[in-house]
Parts: sequence; structure tokens; C-alpha cells
Amino acid sequence: MATNRVSPKKGKVVDIPDAVVTIGTPTAGDASVSVAFTASTPATGGPVQKYTAISSPDSITVSGSTSPVVVTGLTNGTAYTFTVAAANATGNGVFSSASASTTPATQTSFESISTVALSSSNGTITFSSIPSTYKHLQIRMFATGSTTADAYIRFNNDSTATYFCHQMRGGGGGTAQGYSYATQNQMVITSNIGQSSTSFSAAVCDVLDYQNTNKNKTIRSLNGYDLNGSGEAIFWSGAWNNSSSAVSRIDIIMSSGTFGSNSHFALYGIKG
Amino acid sequence: MAAGSTYTPIATTTLGSAAASVTLSSISTAYTDLIVIVNTYLSANAYSYMQVGNNGLDAGTNLSVTWLYGYGNSTSGSIRQSNTATPFFDWQGNDQGFGTAIINFQNYANTSVYKTFLFKDASTNTHGELDVGVGLWRSTSALNTIKFTAAGTTFVAGSTFTVYGIQAA
Repeated sequence: MATNRVSPKKGKVVDIPDAVVTIGTPTAGDASVSVAFTASTPATGGPVQKYTAISSPDSITVSGSTSPVVVTGLTNGTAYTFTVAAANATGNGVFSSASASTTPATQTSFESISTVALSSSNGTITFSSIPSTYKHLQIRMFATGSTTADAYIRFNNDSTATYFCHQMRGGGGGTAQGYSYATQNQMVITSNIGQSSTSFSAAVCDVLDYQNTNKNKTIRSLNGYDLNGSGEAIFWSGAWNNSSSAVSRIDIIMSSGTFGSNSHFALYGIKG
Repeated sequence: MAAGSTYTPIATTTLGSAAASVTLSSISTAYTDLIVIVNTYLSANAYSYMQVGNNGLDAGTNLSVTWLYGYGNSTSGSIRQSNTATPFFDWQGNDQGFGTAIINFQNYANTSVYKTFLFKDASTNTHGELDVGVGLWRSTSALNTIKFTAAGTTFVAGSTFTVYGIQAA
């Protein structure tokens, strides 16, 4: 039920808006929460001039003209609920029910998605159902193998000849060399894994703009191995010649044999 | 899938005055990987190098490194084996432009295997050099100490040395 009040400006009796706001789902940010809601036209107390959101605890009040209203100045790590009311010149109307609880937190741009740490041998590592919420991905791997072999990477379980890759590589005493590989069934993420059970190969591979459905997907991988007297440093680039599909699955595959115990594969997301 | 925050800054040293060396010690072993980013400039034409260890520096000859390098119109590969230190920022000329290194220590706290690290570094003077490499510390101890030394000279004031931790889910 609306309550009549006297407008301080015109001296007229103006109702405050009645209960027209339905609270939505709040979204946590860094020391802030975006409070979504829907609102209908009030039977009394219109027209609405703004919407007012109030936090609980702390009673931080922020107004906005449309949904959502972003409430700032919150304390990271504290759980908050919010109520929202339509307001006119007289004041705030009837507040909605409280939102679900949400906790603002420090936002990061580099997050762990999934990890595979092998305690026994495995020939293929699969990251599936990759979230679409990042701009780029990074694979950080550290591996040995049952035999000396390369590790391949494929997207979306596509094993057709739709990949290209190029490398610059070299070791002791030799001139750096470059190679190109066209129309492959996979890209190479790191070479010559498995030469030692204690000296592992390592790779840091960036998968760039993996959600883009207007261009091919590219990778860059710095990798290598060192065996105290032999070894190679290798810098790979590669492309998956598919411009229409976002990457939702990544397979890392030993070209021969299996990845060994203590091999470690971690997938990270980088926000844009 | 689990999702969590990572890439955490652990420590940063910014030189207020020139120093011959910088040691990052007592590095937490709570992370999966470490990334060290160095941005520096040497007071004289020289090179710098890195040593690692567990609760102090490894005095043994347990480091080796393989890398590609290029400068001017020349490219080549090189290996150093059974060393105590890994060289960085090998300035070739008479001036000493800024150098940047990014070093990835993967599974640095794993006590079952040796530690492999990947690095990129470059100096940007008129005789600058670009390096891409891989190294190995032949120890099954957790790596928690890293020291950078300017050979026979100093890192200038303003040089920064930052170590980050990456935690896998």
C-alpha cells in the first residue's frame, strides 16, 4: 500500500511508488555487485524517476535509471543481499524482497581451469567443456614419456588435415633452424618428450582468441628439454584452420607411447 | 571444472640504488609454477647470470642450459652444461640497453624430478640479443632460492625483480 507524502517542492500530496520491483540475480565484481531487477509501471506514485538499491549489511545505497544498478564500495569477502525500490520525487517506494546472497571478490585475469597430474602413464590428456568466459587460454605442461616422441595438440577432437605449424629450433653449437608443416592432422606442442625419466620437457602454450568464430585459432608454444649436454629450445606457432568453431575441447596426445608418471598438464584462462 | 584465482605476486625487489646482485629467497613452495620477470640495466658492458637452490644456492655443477640466440644478422644455438649459473643479458657492444627476462620454473617444488625451466630474454641496445632457451637444475629438492648477479658490475637503480606464483586447480 502506497503512503501519501507531501512533496517538498510543490506542496502537493504525492504517493511514493508501490511495489513494482522484482529482484533479479546479483553478479559479484571487485568490491562491487551488479544488482539486476525487473520493474513494472506503478499503479500509484508514478512516474518513476530512479531505482534505489540498498546493501545488507552496510546499507550502501546506489541509484540508477535502469537495471542493473551497480553497487560499489563493498568489502571483498563479505556476503551481501540487496533490495531495490522504485523512487520518485517524494522518495523510495516499497522495496523488493532480498536478493540471493553474493560475495564480491578481487578479480583476476589469469585463472586455473583444470589440471591433470599423472600418477601412471597415459597417452592422451583431454580438457573438455572448456568455459567460454575467457579471451585466451594457456597450457602449461611438464612431461616425460615412455619413449622419445612429440606431443600433439588437437581442438574439438578434430583429427582432419586442418592444422598448420611452424617452428624455430636449435641446440648446442648449431645454427637455429626453421621448419614448416602444412595440412597436418594436429599441431605439435612440444618435441622429443621422454628422453629421461627425471629430466622432463616443458612447454608454455598460448591458445589465442579461442572463442572467436570469425577467424582461425592460433597457438604459440615455447618448449624444450635440457639433458646436460644435449637439448633443444623450440618455439612453435600453429593454426587450426577453422574459423567457425570456438575451441571447447583440447587433446594433448603423445605421437608414440605414453606420458609418464609425474607429468603435469594445467589449463588456465586469461580474461580479455 | 574448478576455477580459481591464480598468478599471484609473491615478491618484488626494486633497486633503490645500484646492486651487484639480487636474491629472491624463502620462496613459497605452495604454487605449481613460478614466473620470474626481470627488467634491468647494467652499469657497465657485461653480462648477468642466475643461480638457484634450496635454502641457499646450489654450489654444485648441477645447472645446464640450451638456448637459441640471435643478434644483428646472426642466429645460433648454444649449450652450457654442468654449470653453477645460467647466463642472461649478454651485452655485446659498448652500451648497455635495458634487458628483460621472463623465466618459467615448472613444477619447481616437485621432489621426484629435476627442474626444467623455460626462458626468454632480450637486451635492447644497439647490439641487443634475443635468447629463447630451456634449462635444467638437476636436483630433486624444491627450488626456493634464485639469485641474479651482474658479472663484475651492478644492476642500476630502478631495476625490478618480481616473482609470481601460479597455482593449478
